[in-house]
Amino acid sequence: MTSFALARAHSRIALLDLFRSPSYVVPTVVFPAMFFALFDVQFARTQAAIANEATLAFVVWAIVGVAVYQFGVGIAQERGRPWERYQRTLPVSTAVRFAARIVSAIVFGALAAACVALVARFSTPIDLTALQWLQASLYALAGSVPFVLFGLTIGYWTPARAAVPIATACNLLLAYAGGLWMPPQMLPPVVAKLSPFLPTRQFADLLWSVPGGGFPAHAIAGLALYTLAFAILATAGYRRDERTRYA
Amino acid sequence: MLLSFESVRKSYGSIRALDGLSFGVARDEIVAVLGPNGAGKTTALDIALGLRRPDAGTVRLFGRDPRSVAARRRLGATPQESGFPDVLRVGEVVEFAAAHFGRSPAQIAEVLTAFGMDELAQRRAGTLSGGQSRRLALALAFAGNPDLAVLDEPTTGLDVESRRRLWDVVRRASEGRAILFSTHNLEEAEAMASRVVVIDRGRVLFDGGARELRERFGVRRISYVGEPLERRTLGFAATAVYAGDRTVVATNDTDAYVRALVTSGTPFSELEIAPASLEEAFLSITGVSK
Repeated sequence: MTSFALARAHSRIALLDLFRSPSYVVPTVVFPAMFFALFDVQFARTQAAIANEATLAFVVWAIVGVAVYQFGVGIAQERGRPWERYQRTLPVSTAVRFAARIVSAIVFGALAAACVALVARFSTPIDLTALQWLQASLYALAGSVPFVLFGLTIGYWTPARAAVPIATACNLLLAYAGGLWMPPQMLPPVVAKLSPFLPTRQFADLLWSVPGGGFPAHAIAGLALYTLAFAILATAGYRRDERTRYA
Repeated sequence: MLLSFESVRKSYGSIRALDGLSFGVARDEIVAVLGPNGAGKTTALDIALGLRRPDAGTVRLFGRDPRSVAARRRLGATPQESGFPDVLRVGEVVEFAAAHFGRSPAQIAEVLTAFGMDELAQRRAGTLSGGQSRRLALALAFAGNPDLAVLDEPTTGLDVESRRRLWDVVRRASEGRAILFSTHNLEEAEAMASRVVVIDRGRVLFDGGARELRERFGVRRISYVGEPLERRTLGFAATAVYAGDRTVVATNDTDAYVRALVTSGTPFSELEIAPASLEEAFLSITGVSK
């Protein structure tokens, strides 16, 4: 079997599994669009600039959620299971399986972001052009890397039972303090001070630069540092799991 | 040899799981790995499947390291327990496994039929009964038309009738390929296997046919009304069970036991000597090493 066909089979099974699991679909796909509609549309409907910023902030949150749940909770819960063990007896490489996981994450990330965009399109004066959306999508893809690695860190270091509360707490706190739910200027002073150092805020700054212009150097540097840090932690966690289970 | 173990050692910390294990599986053989819990069966199968790495010794699966993807192209294995994602349908799970071996939809349909899963194809894996789950696990092991199927305790937890039906299916599916399965059920090993490898404490205690197993160790059962002899005083292997007022002893030297019984002066009556079941033979053999 070609690697491509195998990656397709693995993506398909992962997507079927995830689409039929409400405990995954609701927080990743439904929550961002719903929270946006409930809390942010009322502010965002006043001006195009606010609408653009708020929408992109919720796009960031949607993508962070997918990364944290799919890689964090997903791996934490799967790695000890007999099904994972079984898949390792199949003639398929780890790289192909990981590629399939990325594909399904991209599908979910795009879907969750599209739901937010759709709510914005019909209830706010958002005026991002197609080209800006394309640019934002590419930035989102790049900006999601440290969050995938953050998810992997949770996935390999937390026990299956603790993964959901830990991932949820991280997801909500980082969204709030990163200024994804409300403009950073409206955050309490202490949080506002901390905010620029958080990866969620840096990810948002990256996307806000699409309509806002400018080169978000601090955001890129920050995200690069987080990428490095979580790459180290995720690799260490992966190695530890391999050593204990499959050495 | 499709699969070979040569002097394989494996420890987990201070626990020695395999201690110089050597055995092989050739084409068309059905080999049972038999042993009590903790004997090293699971570790041996894990290593054969490429899930774990031996500390020392050589393992070859189709002439390669089982950890390489290429070695596993003609291998089929069962998932442990009933570990399928609950929300996937039976047909989807089998298709997924078969996709790794380039099987056509017609061939996948054949596998579903062979394992009696035609009507279950649309069912979600999480809703299957114990016996149905086992059938699905076996279907996965055979879905890729493997030359060697490795079945980890395929019938554990099933009643006698379900066991028999399951083995009928496996026997039909085994045509033209080798099977390695682990079990702690002696009757199952005797009925199904062309060869039995008995392992205990990570070593091979016996490797041969089921009949040979019984003959070679010549285990017989002595039973009488009276108390068992002190094991320490015997100087040969014997496992005794004392229930009610009757002692049942399995040993490979019934003559010696009877002599010892008489000379000990222990009161006894209703002495009977009969061939032991494989279960008792096994107990007696593994008892030797303890």
